[in-house]
Amino acid sequence: MARRKSKGNKKGVNTTAVVIGAVAAVVLGILAFSGGGAKRAAANNARNFSIADYRTDASRYTNNRYSIEGRVENIETLGNDRLIAISIPGDSQERLPLLVRSGVAQGVNLTRGDSFLFEVECCTGHDDNQKEIKGVLVVRRVETK
Amino acid sequence: MFGVLDAQMEPGNYAITPDLSGNHGNNNANNKKPRSSHSKKARDSRADDEEYDDEDEDGGRTSRRRGAGGGSGTTDNGEPENPRLMGMEIPLLDPSSDTVTYNGGKFDVGNNALVRARFEKYLQQNPDDSAEAKRYRQRMDDLLKLTQNNARQHSEVGSQTLLQIGRGLYEINTYPGDAGQSATLASAIASALSVQYANRAREQKNEQLTHEIERLVHDTDILTTRNTHGPSHKQVGNGRGARVVKNDSKSHTFRIAEQTTEIATKKGTKVKNDADSVAALELSKINYQATLVSFLFQRRFEHALIGSFAYRHIFRDGDNKLNIKKDSQAAKVFENGAGLPPTINSIASLAANARREVDQNMEAVTNLLAQNKLAEATQHLIEAVAIGEYMPSVATFPTESRRRIAEFWTLRKRTLTALNARDYGTLEEIADKMKALDADFDDSLVRTYCDGRKLQSDMCLRNARKAFLSGDEEAATDYAEQAALIWPRNPHLKEMQEEVLKLDNNEAIISEFKSLYARHQYRTIYNERSKFKVVAIDQELEAQLEDCATLVGTIDAMLSQIDKVVHQDKKMGPCMAYEMLLDFQDTDPRYMEDSVFKDAVVRFKVDARDFVAALDEAKVQEERREYGSALANYYRAQCLCATSKRAEEGIDRISQLILSSRFPQ
Repeated sequence: MARRKSKGNKKGVNTTAVVIGAVAAVVLGILAFSGGGAKRAAANNARNFSIADYRTDASRYTNNRYSIEGRVENIETLGNDRLIAISIPGDSQERLPLLVRSGVAQGVNLTRGDSFLFEVECCTGHDDNQKEIKGVLVVRRVETK
Repeated sequence: MFGVLDAQMEPGNYAITPDLSGNHGNNNANNKKPRSSHSKKARDSRADDEEYDDEDEDGGRTSRRRGAGGGSGTTDNGEPENPRLMGMEIPLLDPSSDTVTYNGGKFDVGNNALVRARFEKYLQQNPDDSAEAKRYRQRMDDLLKLTQNNARQHSEVGSQTLLQIGRGLYEINTYPGDAGQSATLASAIASALSVQYANRAREQKNEQLTHEIERLVHDTDILTTRNTHGPSHKQVGNGRGARVVKNDSKSHTFRIAEQTTEIATKKGTKVKNDADSVAALELSKINYQATLVSFLFQRRFEHALIGSFAYRHIFRDGDNKLNIKKDSQAAKVFENGAGLPPTINSIASLAANARREVDQNMEAVTNLLAQNKLAEATQHLIEAVAIGEYMPSVATFPTESRRRIAEFWTLRKRTLTALNARDYGTLEEIADKMKALDADFDDSLVRTYCDGRKLQSDMCLRNARKAFLSGDEEAATDYAEQAALIWPRNPHLKEMQEEVLKLDNNEAIISEFKSLYARHQYRTIYNERSKFKVVAIDQELEAQLEDCATLVGTIDAMLSQIDKVVHQDKKMGPCMAYEMLLDFQDTDPRYMEDSVFKDAVVRFKVDARDFVAALDEAKVQEERREYGSALANYYRAQCLCATSKRAEEGIDRISQLILSSRFPQ
């Protein structure tokens, strides 16, 4: 069930992504003209993100987006969805779990041991019983480093 | 052999009283009161057929006939009573069993306290072969020969010979070993002769009285004739003094009456003298016979022989019968017991036989010692000493032979002591020594007896132990008492005593164990498990003790293993140790009640604090459904301890949950 829903959503996501991508291109163009303010905001978010804080209270990052660079250390899969654990450079004793939905990587081959730049958003989801699944970092975009 | 005997003796009278506390074959259940020489004398002075009641202290024996001819037919135990002589019971020796029957009881001559005492004294004495002793024995032999030679003669011995014997006896009386017995015999002979002299004087007086009576009768006859047929005048007197008087019939009558009275008086005197003589003679015989019997009982056989041989020359009436009632018990001694008539000759015969027995015993002792048969030699020597202590063959027995017998005797005496103390271990050791001294010594009785008693005691102890373990203290005490009574020095008795004392102390220990177990102080119980072994008498407590041992043993083994792990990997080791402790704790919650286990948990919790914090935080966040944080914490824990099962399980569990959940696009 979860996979079917996931596939259904995947088409929706692709369509939305195209639209959003177009919108984003426009916005990015505007931002480029205005001096790259959004890009700067994402970089700030990455610097301010603390895994230690995330471990104690992830919910406070809900709906926030971060651009995080990390090396893939572990990959859990369910269908085409993947839950990866990345290590942040300079902190080998921490792992940050990221949910990579199917299609988000868009041709980027996530392999263990490689580093990537992830744009993530902290979300609250729901399980099959409609109970909350809080503080999960969902990858919105991946770029090869 | 092993009876406990006691005896008392007074001079001239053996009075042997058994102490029946031992297991000797004496069947008489009542102790008999010793008879004193005083009572003997009193009885001797009574008539032969006199009866009197005698009640012993225990009251168990009454109305016994005493006196020369007295004696009931059987004792209380139904056995024939010993014969009596002159009011005294005569001990009879049964050579087949080496026992003496006396006063209703049987006594081993080797176990009799009196015989023992005299025998030990004898063994410690030097042989009496001094010049004085030799002179004494030579003189005694001379006197015996003198009397025996005269006894063979049909003619009567004159007073001079008797006086010679008497003087000889007085001469040897100065020898200390004689103990005045010779003087006693000499005095008896002198007394008897004095009576004879007095009787002879009375006989002479009676002869004189007879002549006077005859003269008075003659004179009376004349006067009576004259009164009847005589003239008016008569001549009175003879010769020159004769005178003629008027025949007065009245004066003859008075004269006749006076002479008749005188005749009657003299006849009365004569009869009285005869009676006095008879009475004195009888009394003299009784006294003399009593002296001879006394010699026999005192084992002064030479004196008894001399006195017996002299008897018929002192009392020449030919009556040499003992002054005892016919068909009396005393008469049966000689008729049935020794097969001899009750005469003075019987005493002589008994004395002669006794001397012969003693000499034969001493000969046997010498021969047995030469063959190293100490047991039999000792037995023969005891009998010889008991019967003829004053015999030359006994008195001159060599010192070296006495020493050898004494050594064996001491061991034999120790067997009695050990037996009385029921010390069967010592008894067997003594039997070994006796066997070493005399290879022919029959120790089978000792060994069989010891083995039997030991087994009895051990069986009682076994029952006591079983009863005690089953909680029946009363029965256990009874059995233990029986075991101690049978064999007081049983070595297992001490073990049992220690066990009992331990078990007494164990009440407190058991109580302490229960308290500790209720408070889950397993480690304390384990550390003092040797002390708490006593709880094993209770199956439930025993299981609890084993459970404690198993639990703490497992913990210790586990901690030891964990220490090795920590030692091998100092970085992840504490984390692994902590997780292992948590795993163990999950298997048995009682682990956390163990102080050492708790200490280890605390120690490793500190050492692996980051790991512990990550796991704890993960758990907290998971409960709050903060799965992102929870998963990050699990990953953090896995980074700190790659082998952590808890971290791995947490990662798998939450990863699957997140992957299967829906999130906004």
